[in-house]
Amino acid sequence: MSFCIGTVAVLLITYIGLIAVVMSYAVLTIEFSQSVRNNKAEVAVLESRYLASVARTTTTDYISAGYALPTATTFVRAESVTALR
Amino acid sequence: MRAQFRSRIRLVLAFLILAALGIFLRLYFVQIVHGETYSQKADRQFSSGGSGLFDRGAIYFTRKDGTLISAATLATGFLVAINPQVLGDPEAAYSAILSAAPSSTIPRDAFIAAAAKKSRVYIEVAHRLSDESGQALSAREVPGVQVLRERWRQYPGGKLAAQSIGIVSYGSGDARAGRTGLEAMYEGTLARSGDSLYRNFFAELFSGMSNLLVNAKDAREGDIITTIEPEVQTRLAGDLAKLNQRYSSKESGGIIMDPATGAIIAIASYPTYDGNNLQSVDPTLLGNSFVEHVYEFGSIMKPITMTAALDAGVITPATTYDDTGCITVNTARICNWDAKARGVIPMRQIIMQSLNVGSSWIADQLGQDAFREYFTKLFAEKTGVDLPNETGALLRNLFKPQQVGYSTAAFGQGIAVTPMQMIRALGALANGGTMVQPHLVRAIRLNSGIERTLDWGKKTPIFSATSTRETVEMMSALNDEILYGGKAKIPTMSVAAKTGTAQLTSPGGGYYTDRFFHSFTGFFPAYNPRFIILLYTNDPKGVQYASETLNTTFLDLVHFLIDYYAVPPDRGFST
Repeated sequence: MSFCIGTVAVLLITYIGLIAVVMSYAVLTIEFSQSVRNNKAEVAVLESRYLASVARTTTTDYISAGYALPTATTFVRAESVTALR
Repeated sequence: MRAQFRSRIRLVLAFLILAALGIFLRLYFVQIVHGETYSQKADRQFSSGGSGLFDRGAIYFTRKDGTLISAATLATGFLVAINPQVLGDPEAAYSAILSAAPSSTIPRDAFIAAAAKKSRVYIEVAHRLSDESGQALSAREVPGVQVLRERWRQYPGGKLAAQSIGIVSYGSGDARAGRTGLEAMYEGTLARSGDSLYRNFFAELFSGMSNLLVNAKDAREGDIITTIEPEVQTRLAGDLAKLNQRYSSKESGGIIMDPATGAIIAIASYPTYDGNNLQSVDPTLLGNSFVEHVYEFGSIMKPITMTAALDAGVITPATTYDDTGCITVNTARICNWDAKARGVIPMRQIIMQSLNVGSSWIADQLGQDAFREYFTKLFAEKTGVDLPNETGALLRNLFKPQQVGYSTAAFGQGIAVTPMQMIRALGALANGGTMVQPHLVRAIRLNSGIERTLDWGKKTPIFSATSTRETVEMMSALNDEILYGGKAKIPTMSVAAKTGTAQLTSPGGGYYTDRFFHSFTGFFPAYNPRFIILLYTNDPKGVQYASETLNTTFLDLVHFLIDYYAVPPDRGFST
């Protein structure tokens, strides 16, 4: 009889424990998902700034900003980056 | 005593059996008889049909170093709704909401009218509040005002490649979906159906057990990775805006493509729109002229005519003809752009001086059947680019017996093709005679984490490598000797180029004599190109020839691409 009561008690505690684990998992999943969404939105803001700065750089008139075009451009062969080649 | 105990035991046993039978019977009715009804009720309550937050896959640009930059993503914030039955002081509530969301709140009159609808319990009055504003408004706890989480489509680049990226909006139903561009083309991959964040976990666990093993959505849903390079795209868009504003054109467009693979690195048109603010957008701008409109491109068709004739063997670069300045074909008079005769000249002069009479002469040499065969191979089929609503070319003149249709098609008039078809055909000149499939998306990153590279390997051989090389030599000579009187020549880089000026068609038939369509194409390094560029501007004011409008834009892009990608020189460097 005591064995049965003990078994039932263990099963009951296990069941309650499983419910607690599953509930915690559900809560964490939702929190993590929301956190990912929020981080993505923050990254999107940074990407907007990056693209805006690219546009600003592209439309900048460097001549009016005081820079001069190079008078000559010379290309040379790229040097080997290792001593073995 | 024992008999009495036994009868009690039997009584309890009978009761237990009856109770078990009752439960069993009840279970039978619940699960078998009314099972479907309960299942539907549970679905409605929990996992299925939940109106969760808007969710959708992202679209990415790809920088030259492989870094992904969002072209379309999701922004998170708050919306504000009112419950007119609970709202006590509409004026005070409106002031509070307006201070939190000054730009997105509905007008005061509309708000007061909404607050007066006492039969309603939920009316949305402001959208897209930032986290700070939403939380600040929520903390004020205004009676009858609800502050709720909201997500919406965000385009970090604003106008950048807007027509090709596309838009998301409500259609006839209450669901948001991709309507144009890649948003529509890859709807099946980007859409997130029935995947609410706040669904009931237990319901999902038990009703979606099979998904724990194999989730079909993970093999279908994901993000889109495009071939568009954001800095090149910005440069092209900026150059086209300047061009269009300078000449007050009706529209301008440009495509930069890798001729070997068909990967589109930049695609821009002007005017355009900002996908984040669609309230005041002209609906005609939402379409994509690169695949939905056809144009008569003019003289950039001449290199194609030339290559076809070289490939067919009816001419060689050394072949000569007598240019009389004007000819009459059927009853139509065809003249060079300046109506001047050149006398007996070799083939390369047709490309370098852009001679209509010479192109018509080549069409004659090629013959109608061969001409039709080449142009049908190049333009009769749609490109299959991953953009919606692609239209086909207008080639009717090539199916009539009159020679004039062929003579004019030889210099790009009388037949109309889409810009996408045009760059694909010109790409065959740059790619040793083989036509590739243009595309905007290189891969899909699935939710499972797997990146699936799309196969765009369809190649169509059109010309021989020898014939394309001979034409490229002519186009390179044009760049080195003709453009800006030879000043466009880059000593360390061979560039093949061709300008095109076409008369615009008049609605009453025939052509305007004072309105033009300008086009320009070029690729470099000429004999092993990494980039092909197609530019056009429609109805520019105050100029007649494409060499006046598009030279600067083309050369700016060439120099930018050489610098940005560090394209190594292919000639003229010291050892």
